[in-house]
Amino acid sequence: MTQIFQPSTDRWLRFFFLAFVLIAVGTIAVAVPGMQSAMTGVGYQPTQPVPFSHKLHAGELAMDCTYCHNTVDRADYAAIPTTETCLNCHARVVPNSPLLVDVFESYGSRVPIEWIRVHRLPDYTYFSHQAHVTVGVSCVSCHGRVDQMEEVRQVEPLNMAWCLDCHRHPEAELRPSEFVTDLAWQPDNDPVELGRQLRAMNDINPPENCSACHR
Amino acid sequence: MSPITTGQKTESGRQYWRSLEQLHQSPSFDRWVEREFPLNATQLDEPSRRTLLKLMAASFGLAGAVACRRPVENILPFSRGVEDLIPGKSVYYASGFSLDGVTDGVLIETHDGRPTKVEGNREHPTGTGAATVFEQASVLQVYDPDRAKSVLRNRAPSTWEEFETFVTAHLEQAGDGSGIRFLSDPISSPSLNLVRSHVLERFPGARWTEYAPLVGDQVSAAARLVFNREVQPVYDLSAADRVLSLDADFLGLDWLGKTATRDFGRRRRPATGTDTINRLYVAESRFSVTGAMADHRLRVTPAEIEGIAVALAGEFGLFTPEARSAVLEDPYRRRWLSATARDLASHRGRSLILAGSRQPAEVQALAYWLNEFLGNVGETVSFAEVSPLVDSPQDLSLTDLASEMAAGRVTTLVMVNGNPAFDTPADLGFSDLLADIPTTIRFGIEEDETAALSEWVLPASHYLEAWGDGRATNGTVTLQQPMIQPLYDTRSTAEFVALVGNYPESGGYDIVRNYWLEEWGASGDERRWRRALHDGAIPETAYPEFDATIDVTAIREALEQRQSSGAVDGIEVSFYPDAAMYDGRFANNGWLQETPDPMSKLTWDNAALLSPVTAKTLAVENNDVIQIEVGGRSVEIPVLIQPGHADKAISLSLGYGRTSVGSVGRHVGQDVYPLRTTEAFWHCSGATVRKTTKRHPLACTQDHHSMEGRPVARELSVGESLSASHESEVHHAPLYQRTNSDDGYQWGMSIDLSSCIGCNACMVACQAENNIPIVGKAEVANGREMHWIRLDRYYVGDENEPQAVTQPVACQHCENAPCETVCPVAATVHSDEGLNDMVYNRCVGTRYCANNCPYKVRRFNYLDYHGDFAETEKMAFNPNVTVRMRGVMEKCTYCVQRIQEAKITASSESRDVQDGEIQSACQQTCPTEAIVFGNIADPNSEVARLRSEPRNYSVLEELNTKPRTTYLAKVRNPNPELSVDG
Repeated sequence: MTQIFQPSTDRWLRFFFLAFVLIAVGTIAVAVPGMQSAMTGVGYQPTQPVPFSHKLHAGELAMDCTYCHNTVDRADYAAIPTTETCLNCHARVVPNSPLLVDVFESYGSRVPIEWIRVHRLPDYTYFSHQAHVTVGVSCVSCHGRVDQMEEVRQVEPLNMAWCLDCHRHPEAELRPSEFVTDLAWQPDNDPVELGRQLRAMNDINPPENCSACHR
Repeated sequence: MSPITTGQKTESGRQYWRSLEQLHQSPSFDRWVEREFPLNATQLDEPSRRTLLKLMAASFGLAGAVACRRPVENILPFSRGVEDLIPGKSVYYASGFSLDGVTDGVLIETHDGRPTKVEGNREHPTGTGAATVFEQASVLQVYDPDRAKSVLRNRAPSTWEEFETFVTAHLEQAGDGSGIRFLSDPISSPSLNLVRSHVLERFPGARWTEYAPLVGDQVSAAARLVFNREVQPVYDLSAADRVLSLDADFLGLDWLGKTATRDFGRRRRPATGTDTINRLYVAESRFSVTGAMADHRLRVTPAEIEGIAVALAGEFGLFTPEARSAVLEDPYRRRWLSATARDLASHRGRSLILAGSRQPAEVQALAYWLNEFLGNVGETVSFAEVSPLVDSPQDLSLTDLASEMAAGRVTTLVMVNGNPAFDTPADLGFSDLLADIPTTIRFGIEEDETAALSEWVLPASHYLEAWGDGRATNGTVTLQQPMIQPLYDTRSTAEFVALVGNYPESGGYDIVRNYWLEEWGASGDERRWRRALHDGAIPETAYPEFDATIDVTAIREALEQRQSSGAVDGIEVSFYPDAAMYDGRFANNGWLQETPDPMSKLTWDNAALLSPVTAKTLAVENNDVIQIEVGGRSVEIPVLIQPGHADKAISLSLGYGRTSVGSVGRHVGQDVYPLRTTEAFWHCSGATVRKTTKRHPLACTQDHHSMEGRPVARELSVGESLSASHESEVHHAPLYQRTNSDDGYQWGMSIDLSSCIGCNACMVACQAENNIPIVGKAEVANGREMHWIRLDRYYVGDENEPQAVTQPVACQHCENAPCETVCPVAATVHSDEGLNDMVYNRCVGTRYCANNCPYKVRRFNYLDYHGDFAETEKMAFNPNVTVRMRGVMEKCTYCVQRIQEAKITASSESRDVQDGEIQSACQQTCPTEAIVFGNIADPNSEVARLRSEPRNYSVLEELNTKPRTTYLAKVRNPNPELSVDG
C-alpha cells in the first residue's frame, strides 16, 4: 500500500501555513487604514445635482449657515433649504445663470431638487442638531470648514467612537453660542480652558447612555 | 399543593388567580409557568430545512451586495416651503373622532404630514387628554391597504364621474322620490344635517332611516316616558359617594365620556383620607370592567335586573308588585339589596343609580325615579335637552324600511356608512331584501358585506382625510379637520350626500365652513372659524340643561303594565358590544384584534361566555363548540368559562365573524348577529344549548407571563395599611452593588391600582407610540404577543363570586436589573438616569435577559413581523422609534424618545425639565390618571409624592431588583354590612 503523504508534505504544509499567516497579516495591515475611511465615509464627496458652492456662499459672501439651514436650532434636522429659499436671492441675483436652470425648473414644477446626502448616520441613530447647536457646539466640529469647500465632503468619521470621544471630553468643541456658525472662529486663549468654563457655566453634561441616541 | 400553581394570597389571606386552570392547578398552567419560554417558542412556523437554506443563501447574497458600495441617499426638501412645518418635528391638530353619532375631541400628532398618533384634546369641553382604545387604533385604519379604494359598479371598476352622470340622470326620473330611501348610521353633524335636509326637501317622497346596531332606543324611550322630551341624563361621578350600577358598564362599553371616567377614577383614590373614596355596587351578568371595580358585585342575568330594580324601589317603599319578587328567592340577594338600599338612602343627594342602556326603558325610568327619591337629581344627576336633529315626517324606522323593501316599494336604496347587511336584526332578512332592490348605492370605507350586495360601491374618506363636524357627549360641536389628503379617490360623507342631492356646495371644507359662518351670522368671521378649528370645538354649543320634573305616575303606570319578566326561562342569551371590534367595524384593525379582552383576555376571537356552574350543567369546557338555538335560529361558537358570570346565562359579543372584509379580520371569530332579532335586540331567554363534537382553540393570554404565584397585585380595604409581606425581606443580595446616582433626572413611574379600570387604552397607545407589531392568533397562542405593557387581571376569591384586580405591567426599570447582568453583548445596560436601556443593534437574540426577568416583560421578535408591510402601513410608524427587526429583544423604554425630546427642548431653553412635561404614552392616554411618570429625584414631583404614600409598594421587593415602577395598592371600600365572604 503506497503512502498517501510524502515526507515532503510536512514541509509544504509548514510553508503554506506560514505563507497564509503572512498574507493575512499583510492584507490587514495594508487594507485596514484604507478601509477605515471607506467604512466611515470620510472624504465622501458626491456631485450634487446643482453645483452649489458653499465656498462662495458661506465663505466669500459670508452668509450665515442658518439662513438656509434654518431649523438647525429648533429641530433634529438642520433642514436642506427649500427651492424657494434659493430664489429669495436668485430671483434677482444672476437669475439667468445656466447653473440655476434646475433651480428655476424645480420652483416652477414644484418638484424637489434631489440633493445627495453627504453626512449619513445609521437609521438607528437619532442625532439632534438642536441639542448640539444650542449648547455651543459649532457646525465646524462635525462638518469641517464647509466655507472653504466648493463641493461639500465628509471630513469626520461620524462613527460612535468619534461621537463618544467628544461626549466624554466636550471642552475642546464648546464655544459661546453666538459663534456657533462662525466656522473660522478661534478663541483668544486656550480653547479647552474656555470650554471648561462654558461647560461649568451652562451645566453641560453630554449623555453617554445608549438611549441618548438609540431608541 | 404545588407552590408554583398556588395563586398569591391577599393581605387577608384570600387567593389570587388568573385563570380557572391556575385555580385548579391544571397541568396546562404549570407548563406556562415552568417553561423558560413557551413550548414551540423556538420553532419556525413551518419548519422546512429547504426554506431555511434558501433564506440563508439569499441573505448572504444580499449581505454581500449591500456591502459593495455606499448607497446614494437623497434628501428632498420642499420646492416651496410649507408654513409652520419643521422637518422632523411633530405638529398637532385638533379634530374629532365619531362613533355612532358621538364626536369626541381628539388631538392628532402628525409627522411631516402623516397622522401617526391620536391623543385626547384637553381643550375640548369633554376632553381630558385621554384617548379611547378606538381612537388610538383609528390611525391604523386610514393606512389599511384593504380599504375601499375605488368606485365599483356591479363589481367592475368605475369612476366618480360615471357615478355622477348616473345618479343625476337616475334621480331626475325619480319624481318626488317616493321610491328613494336613505339608510345611514346616526348623524349628529349639523352641517351634514343641512345637506340631508336639502336632499329630503328636493325629494319630499324620500325617507331617511338611521340605524346603528349598538344604539338602542331605550334611553330616548325612557326620556319620552318620563319627560315627554328628547332628554339625556348627565351624571356627575365626582359628587357621588355611593354608586349603584344596574347592568351599566359605565367604565367600559356604556362609556359616559372621558370626563366622567376621570371623575370616577379620582374618587377611587383615597388620597387624603378614607372618606373621599366612593363605594360602587354593581349588579350585572357578564363580568365587566365596571364589575371588576365594584366593591360589591351581584351576579344577575340581564332580565333579572328589572326585578332587582323593582325590589330596590320596594326597599324604599316606592313600588312593590309581588310578581317580580322571584329574583329575591336567594337570601344573599335579599341581604345585598337591603344593605345597598340602606347605604344609598343614608347618602341622600350624594348617591347615584345608573341603569344600563341595554335595559328596557321602564328600568331606566325607574332609575330616574330612584335618583329623584334619593335627592340626587340636581346633585349627581342632571338632564340635558338634546336638540332632535331630525324631527320630520321623513324619518323612518329600520323595521318600517324593511317592510317597505319587502313590499317592493323601494326602488333606490342609498346606504351611507354602516354595514346593514351584516349587523341588522336577523328577522328582517336585510341581505335578502337588498337583492330585490333595483338600484342600490352604497357609500362606505370598507368593501364589506353590504358593499358585496350593492350595485354601486363608493369609497368613503377616513375621518383623518375629511372635513366634518359632530356633537360630543354633552352636545358640544366638535370640528373634524383632515390631516392628510385622501390617500385614494374617496369623498367625505357630506360630499357624497351633497353629490346625490345636488347640493350647491360640493367641497367638504366649504360645506362645513359655510354652515358655521352662516350659523354665526354677523358675529362669525374667519378669525372665529380659525379659533374653533384650532381648539377643535365650538364653545357654548352644549345641550342646554333641562330642568327636570320627573313624572312619577307615568313611570308607575308603565311598570305596572309590564308583564312579569322576573323569572328566567331556560338559558338567557345576551349580546354586548365587543371591547375591540365594537359592532364589527374594526374587524380589519390588527391592533384591536390582538388587544386582549379586558376581562376574558381573549384575542382574535369571540366566545360564548358562561359561568363555571352553567358550564358544568351543560358539560362543556373551554374551547368546546356549542350550538345555541333561539327561536329557530342558531349559531355555533366556542365556550369560554368566565368566572363571575351569572348562572343560566350566556354572553355573546357582537362584531366578529365578518366574511367580507380585509385580510386581517376575515373569518375571525363567530358571527352572532344571526341570533339577534328586533324583539331580542339585547337579550332573550329560552335558548337551547347543545354541545357539538367540534373544538375551536381560543388564543387567550390570561396565563401568559404568569409570575409563579408571587404577590404581585396587592389590595387593601379602606382603613387597612400594607403589611410587610412575609417575603418582603430581601433574600437576594446583589452580586455587585451598583451605585445609583441621585444626580440629575432619575426617572420613575407610579401606577395606582385603585383607579386602574383595565380598559386597555394604555396597551394600544403604547403600540401606536412604539411601533409594536401584531403577531396573529397562532403566535399569540404560542405566547409571543409583543405588547410592551400588558394588563394582568387577577381574580380574587371563589370561582363563582370572584372579585378582580387589573394591573398594568411593563418593564419595571429595575435599579438592580437582572436582565443586564446576563446579556453577553451588553445590549441591555443601565443609563445614569435610571433607565434600563435596550440597544437593538447590539442584540444578538440570546434571550437570556427575558429568561432572567422576574417580571416577564421582555418581548422577543421571533419572526420578521414588520417584514411585509404595505407602503401605506409604513406611514403609520412613529419615526422617532426604531422599527425592530427579527431576532432582537424589545421592551418598554419609558417612552425614551419623549424623554429625549423634552430634555433637548429644556436644554436649548437653558432650563430643567418641568414635572409633568414628559408624559409616557400610557400615562397620557390613561382615562383615570392612574399612571404618573416623572423625576423621582425631585422631591416636589408628583411621582415622588406618590412613592412616599403608604400604599406604595414594589412588585417582588424581596428580589432586591429595586424597580423604578412602583404600584399603589388597590383600595376597596366594602360595606361593613356585607362581609366579603358573605
